[in-house]
Amino acid sequence: MAMEPGQKAVVVANKTADDEPAIEATRLCRTFGAIVAVDDVSFEVGRGEILGFLGPNGAGKSTTLRMITGLLAADEGTAKICGIDVSHDPLGARQCFGYLPEAIPLYDEMQVDQYLRFIGNSRGLVGADLEQKLQDVCSRLGLEQMLRRYCGTLSKGFRQRVGLAQALIHDPQVLILDEPTNGLDPRQIIEVRQLIRELAQERAIIFSTHILQEIAAICTRIIVIHSGKLIADGTAEELAGEGSTGWEVVVSGDGISSEMCTGIGMTGGVPGAPGEVVHRWLSDTPPDLATLTLQIEGCGSSLIGVGQARETLEQVYLRLTAAEVVQ
Amino acid sequence: MKSILIIARRECGAYFGTPIAWIFIALQIAILSFFFFQFSPFFIIESADMRVWFGLTPFMLMVFAPAVTMRLWSEEMRTGTTEVLLSLPIRVTDLVIGKWLAALIVLLASVVCSFGIPLTIAWLAVSPVDWGPIIGGYIGTILSGMMFLALGCWVSALSRNQVVSLLVGVFVGIVLVLVLSPDFAMYLSGTYPAVSRVVESLGVQTHFRAIERGVLAISDVVYFLSGSLFFLALTVFQVEMKRQ
Repeated sequence: MAMEPGQKAVVVANKTADDEPAIEATRLCRTFGAIVAVDDVSFEVGRGEILGFLGPNGAGKSTTLRMITGLLAADEGTAKICGIDVSHDPLGARQCFGYLPEAIPLYDEMQVDQYLRFIGNSRGLVGADLEQKLQDVCSRLGLEQMLRRYCGTLSKGFRQRVGLAQALIHDPQVLILDEPTNGLDPRQIIEVRQLIRELAQERAIIFSTHILQEIAAICTRIIVIHSGKLIADGTAEELAGEGSTGWEVVVSGDGISSEMCTGIGMTGGVPGAPGEVVHRWLSDTPPDLATLTLQIEGCGSSLIGVGQARETLEQVYLRLTAAEVVQ
Repeated sequence: MKSILIIARRECGAYFGTPIAWIFIALQIAILSFFFFQFSPFFIIESADMRVWFGLTPFMLMVFAPAVTMRLWSEEMRTGTTEVLLSLPIRVTDLVIGKWLAALIVLLASVVCSFGIPLTIAWLAVSPVDWGPIIGGYIGTILSGMMFLALGCWVSALSRNQVVSLLVGVFVGIVLVLVLSPDFAMYLSGTYPAVSRVVESLGVQTHFRAIERGVLAISDVVYFLSGSLFFLALTVFQVEMKRQ
């Protein structure tokens, strides 16, 4: 849904009444000199949700994520992770989340197991507990054969996995991933998507990207941020529903002609591919169903469906960001 | 404390797992040994002391300490590993002390490696060795090293460019060792006695020489410890400022 300034998007997917949001951002603002990087951004994320954080490069996605993680102080507003305010109790909040920064920074001179043990120790894991969690996360991410490799010698895909492993090693309730599939090959992208879906079953995940297919593939909910402002929040279907491009009539069969449809107010027909014989017709106003049915059946065709035409995610994105540019 | 040790252990791994620490130790001992055996009257009058060695130590630390510490924050900022480091549940104070402690361990390793020199003196010298100034010299080396390394940590947090960190560190070191020197204080004493006293009390050499003589005065120890704390506090402030 398109957002009014200051309005907080509350989505209750998989949330129980007594379950507080895993991530809660309230009226976050941040400026860098004269540049307003984030302006009055508010949202909540519940457990079991994968929130797609969508926006063009430089829109304010990473700045918002950095404020949520406490890496950057907010000029105004608050961010809470599992109910803990990141500015009042930063250490408590940091224990609750795992964070994968955009550039996947690793210590190149460390071996993978040394690095993950260091992160585990830093997060309070020791002894058998650390070894168990290390084994679990490496097995989940396919890193067992890479433990003795130096981080500096890893391929991009394995660096990404090690980055994810450090974010996951303490089994956090919240995962904050800044463009986690950036630079991966198609197979690796599919693997990471699958992993994120599995992880989301018991966690809240924020997933930042500027790749639309990424969002459509895995996110249960989408937030669009542009020029520092939150301009839309909802599921892909909700966002597409807002931008109806009119009414769509889908007809099967050869008998119906362009003239006939034009006569009942339908324009912009798209014929089906050869052999499919399915036609789509568009109208700005709802079609007169009685007339439409009679005419279609009269020429031996059949009506498959009538409904509001939906925008694709690309169209939604372009509409939202173009509107903001005009403003 | 546990967090400090975790960070110190990681940094020690980075120092000793790469050539950095070994080059530092080898170079420092090689240069000091060269000057010691070349210019000390050791072989002429068999003087059983290390005055030349410890006389050069502040100048060595002035250059070598920022060289050891320059990577501590600059490298992390350049590669972006601070993003992960600062998202860990560890206080910035513990991060700063842990990194400084690792650099101090490198310095201590270099001190231990140089023990061969006083042992050689004791073995070769005809006259009995006066251990007081030698022990004092080592205590002075460690105390002044703590301060120079803290200074190095701070300048490393100032820039993501290691060369800039090194140059700024050496510059501040020159001010502390050469500008605020006993010679300069003496030059000022006639015309500006008050300034001269300030220069003398702020300079590293005044306090180092006092300890090197084998006299461990509280004021000299406090100077180096408070100097270390001051630069460590500046480092904490500098790292915290990155959130702002």
